[in-house]
Amino acid sequence: MIFKKLKELIRKEILVLARDRQTIPILFIMPVALILFLSLALQGVYVDKISGRKILLVLENASHTPKAVLLEKKISTSKLIQRIERPAGFDNDKLFEYGKAQAAIFIPEGFDDGAKPLQIQFDPVLDAGYKAAARALITSLTAELVMGIDDIEALTSNFIIEKTKKNRDLPGPLQQSVPGWSIFAMFFIAIPMSIGFLREKNDGTLQRIFTYPVNVHLIILGKLIPYYLINLIQFALMIIVGIYIMPYITNLPFALGEHPWHLIPITVVVAAASTGFGVMVASLARSPEQASALAVTGAILMGASGGIMVPHVVMPLMMKKLAMISPMYWAHQAYLDVFLRDAAFSFILPKLAVLTLFALLCFYIAGRKVKWM
Amino acid sequence: MKALEISGITFSYNPLADKSVAGDFEYALRDFSMSVDCGQIHALLGPNGAGKTTLMRLITGQLRGYGGDINIYGHKNEDKEALIAIGYAPQPVSLFTALTAMENLRIFGVMAGLSDERLKERSTEVLEETGLLSYAKKRTATYSGGMLRRLNLAVALLHSPRLLLLDEPTVGVDPQSRHHIYETLKKMNAAGMAIVLCTHIMDEAQRLCSRVTLLDKGAVIYSGDMNKIDNLEKFFLERTGRGLRDE
Repeated sequence: MIFKKLKELIRKEILVLARDRQTIPILFIMPVALILFLSLALQGVYVDKISGRKILLVLENASHTPKAVLLEKKISTSKLIQRIERPAGFDNDKLFEYGKAQAAIFIPEGFDDGAKPLQIQFDPVLDAGYKAAARALITSLTAELVMGIDDIEALTSNFIIEKTKKNRDLPGPLQQSVPGWSIFAMFFIAIPMSIGFLREKNDGTLQRIFTYPVNVHLIILGKLIPYYLINLIQFALMIIVGIYIMPYITNLPFALGEHPWHLIPITVVVAAASTGFGVMVASLARSPEQASALAVTGAILMGASGGIMVPHVVMPLMMKKLAMISPMYWAHQAYLDVFLRDAAFSFILPKLAVLTLFALLCFYIAGRKVKWM
Repeated sequence: MKALEISGITFSYNPLADKSVAGDFEYALRDFSMSVDCGQIHALLGPNGAGKTTLMRLITGQLRGYGGDINIYGHKNEDKEALIAIGYAPQPVSLFTALTAMENLRIFGVMAGLSDERLKERSTEVLEETGLLSYAKKRTATYSGGMLRRLNLAVALLHSPRLLLLDEPTVGVDPQSRHHIYETLKKMNAAGMAIVLCTHIMDEAQRLCSRVTLLDKGAVIYSGDMNKIDNLEKFFLERTGRGLRDE
């Protein structure tokens, strides 16, 4: 009979949830939309930070001497540069304003005898790194020309060896967004969970259940299990969307890493943390309106500070440290250990311990604060 | 054996209040006693804030930490046997509005321990008794006030309780629904069910009930047979005063 009662409590909770028109969009459609839009938006950050992009350059040569022509050729064939033609009626300011180019170079007549210098103008909002790289490129190419060296890079190759390791910190757009917004949506479970609890408390249905011979722990389980299951389904769905749908829409790659089975214990713990958060909100709020505000504010603050909205790796050092107070940070890093770092489970375990502590703390606070009547 | 026996109940919403010292306004109920015989309809009357709903919540085990004893058919009120013997229709309509009448009955029926077969049978019976059978599969959010009150009662009757506790069962309903509710109660009582009726509608209490307990400021101010009272409303006002009870 105990299991029958538990099953009925779970069934009731799911029916109520499924018939709430706001729940399904919040829990399932919102994260998919966020993954799509923010992956595309993050693409620029990712390209700038890792693979780099070519600088769109308008190059005009008024000097037709062999040296000037050679410089023009060297600049045009550089891997850093994508040369474009100046559109008719566009001066430099208009070029930058409309995003047609990010830099413009003018080689004046009399350049090779040193009478007039080469002129460079950058888009004022171009990343400082790109400006420095373009400046260094033009300087080295000009030096090659002045010193009569054919390829300065080949000449210095014996003195410089690059030993950069494979990126294991900055996630790709989908690697960032899929787990990030899944975690965010999982914590949003606090909204229907706390609202549902307070609505039942306010309309007396919860108290009415207590007038039957039903153990209070059974009622708590009946409230927790459906939301916990929804959390697991949310993550599974987001992963499916990340693997099978997003790469086709966004043209961005997404892979699970070498140890995809680690996702199971991580998700089990993250779901416990998010349902714990929901229970805590339900116990602290006095009305459904208050619960909704508390849950939304809490989730957004945790997401903003925890590296969900802005990748943790691009945050300033102080924010990186501050992020550690957010459970979403630990959850996200645990997922990135799987997607990005191919980490061993022992590496992930401390993050799961932090999340478990957060969940226990939430349940403890809820246990102290909850008023059933 | 009494259907309900309450002796010396003292209760305060302030958990720090000393239960052994009755007095003052800290107490929602003070040394309160009453008993209901099997098959009796007992009116529990009192002005707003007198402690009627608190008493109902104590009987049904929603509130704990009281002094005194509450027994239902010889069992302590928190025992499973006692809880099963009670059918409770609270003052606010306490139903899941996202669910249909049938789904509401199912959840409360399972909580009461009814088997699937019995649940199905009783659900049909109580919906028929309360005139809601044709609306069984409609969500209760679409119900009128009267229909909700009747379903509130149907839930209380579902597991065939031996003691029915009704906290203002007809508040806010039209005369038709009220009449239907009272006809249902008469039928249940004729079948042997004891009923405790909290109401502010004096003529109905006088018409339906054989015993009355008058409660004010948490204490019994009168308990006796209804047939000894000529005009219940006049009697009520004489005993509880004509001043407004807004606190």
